[in-house]
Amino acid sequence: MADHLDSPGLMPPGGDASIDITDIYAFLKPGDATKSILILNVNPLTLASGYNTSAIYEIKVDTDSDALADVAFKVRFTSVPGGGQTAEVRLATGSEAKGRDFIGQILFSGAVVSFGSSPTITTNGDFKFFAGRRSDPFFFDLLGFLNGFQFTGSDFFADKNVFGMALEVPNSALGPNANIGVWARTLLPQPDGSMLQIDRMGRPAINTVFMHGKEKRMFNQAEPVQDVARFTDEIVAVLTAFGYSTSQAAGIAGILLPDILTFDSSSSAGFLNGRKLADDVIDIELNLVTNGAVTTDMVGPHSDYLSDFPYLGTPH
Amino acid sequence: MEGVDRRNFLKLAGMLGGSVTVGALTPTIGLLKLSTPETLTFRAVAGLPAPPLPAYASYVLEGNVNLGAQSGVITRMVLAGAPEAMSDIALPGLSQTIRVKEVLPGSGILRIRGEVADRSQIGAGESPTVEIVVDRSRGIVRAPFLGSTLNLKLQS
Repeated sequence: MADHLDSPGLMPPGGDASIDITDIYAFLKPGDATKSILILNVNPLTLASGYNTSAIYEIKVDTDSDALADVAFKVRFTSVPGGGQTAEVRLATGSEAKGRDFIGQILFSGAVVSFGSSPTITTNGDFKFFAGRRSDPFFFDLLGFLNGFQFTGSDFFADKNVFGMALEVPNSALGPNANIGVWARTLLPQPDGSMLQIDRMGRPAINTVFMHGKEKRMFNQAEPVQDVARFTDEIVAVLTAFGYSTSQAAGIAGILLPDILTFDSSSSAGFLNGRKLADDVIDIELNLVTNGAVTTDMVGPHSDYLSDFPYLGTPH
Repeated sequence: MEGVDRRNFLKLAGMLGGSVTVGALTPTIGLLKLSTPETLTFRAVAGLPAPPLPAYASYVLEGNVNLGAQSGVITRMVLAGAPEAMSDIALPGLSQTIRVKEVLPGSGILRIRGEVADRSQIGAGESPTVEIVVDRSRGIVRAPFLGSTLNLKLQS
C-alpha cells in the first residue's frame, strides 16, 4: 500500500479513517507547462463517510531543499446543514506554511464537496480545486504482497474509492525554483488546543514498508526534517534483510529520506520526478527494496483516470 | 474416518495433554478453551506478510467447534494492522465462514475439515474445502491462505 492504513492498529486517534492519507501526487498539468496538479487522497476503502470537519489537511511544499515547508495549501471542511460538506482552502507561505494553524490567503471558500459521480470543480483565477469521493487511483496486488510476494496480478484497489483533494496551481505559486519537494499531512485538534499531526506522506510506501509497530506512529507524527536522524536505521534494517550491504542500504536510505516527493515542475517526467496517477510506483519500489529479486506485482494502472481536472476517476 | 463422539472426547482431551472437568467449570486444554466439555473455542493470529517485511495485516481464525457432533463454525478474516496493533477493520473480500464437517484427532493435534459456507466468498482457484490443523503442542494453527499454508499463533 502507498500509505493506506499505515498507523498501528490502522485507526488514528479518534478512530477516523478520513484523516488517513492514502496517496499524494504531483505532476505537470497535461498540456500546460505553466501549471501543476497536486492531489491528496485520504480515507482508504472509504471507511469514513466524509472529511473530518475538525481536521486540517495540508499539502506542503519545500522550495529550497531544507525539508521545511515554504508553501502550504491548507484545507478545512465544514458540514452543511441538511447534509453535505464544503471546503475552505488557504495558501500559506513562509512561517505560516510551517505552522499548524489554519491561516493564509483564502483561495477557496464554500467549495462544495462532491459525494456523487460528477465532480464539482471550483475555480479562482489560475487555481482550481476539487474535493470529494473518487475512484482510488492506486493499483497494487495487495493479496499477493500479504501472501509473501506471490503476486498474481490481482488489483485489490480496482473497485475501491477514496476521498480526494485536487488542486491545479500555477507553478509560480510553488516558489521561485522549479525543483521542489512535496508532502502532505493531516492534523487534529487536541484538548489543550494544539494541533497533533496524525498522518503524513511524501513518497509512496515509506511508512508502510519500512516502519514497524510503534515506529509507524512516530514516523507519522515526525517532520521530514527529522527523518534522516530518526529513521535511517529502520530503513537500513529492512534493506539489509533483503541482501543489501549496510553501506548500500545506508546509501538508499539517504535517497528515501527525508520522506518528501521531489518534483521538478519544469519536467513532465513521472516518478521519481513527482508522481502521476499512472506511475507504477510499486514496481519501482519492489525492485528497489528486494534488490531486484521482485520486479513487478503484475498490476498496471487503472483505466478510469480522467483526462482533465480533477483527473481522479468516477467513484465506483 | 475417525469421528469424535462423547466417549472418544475424553480420550482426545487426554491426548492433547490437558484435563477436562465435566460440569459448570470452563475447562481448558492448553491454549484451547473448552466452553463446554465438547466445545472447543480458539483464536489464532498470524502477521501478514511474513518477516522480514513488517506485518501490515493480521490473518485471524476464530473457531467454535463441537467435537462430539463434529460441527461448528470457524471464521477467517484479514484485519488491517499487525498482530500487536490489530484493528477491527476487515479487508473486504477476505472474510469467510467455514462450516465444520469433520474433526479428526491425531498425535497432539486436531485436524478440522470444513467447507466455506458462502460459495460466493471463494476466490479464483480457491478450494471450497478447508483443512485446519490445531497443533496444541506447538501452540499453532495451520491454515490455508491464498494457496499457501500459514502457521498462526494460538492465543489464549
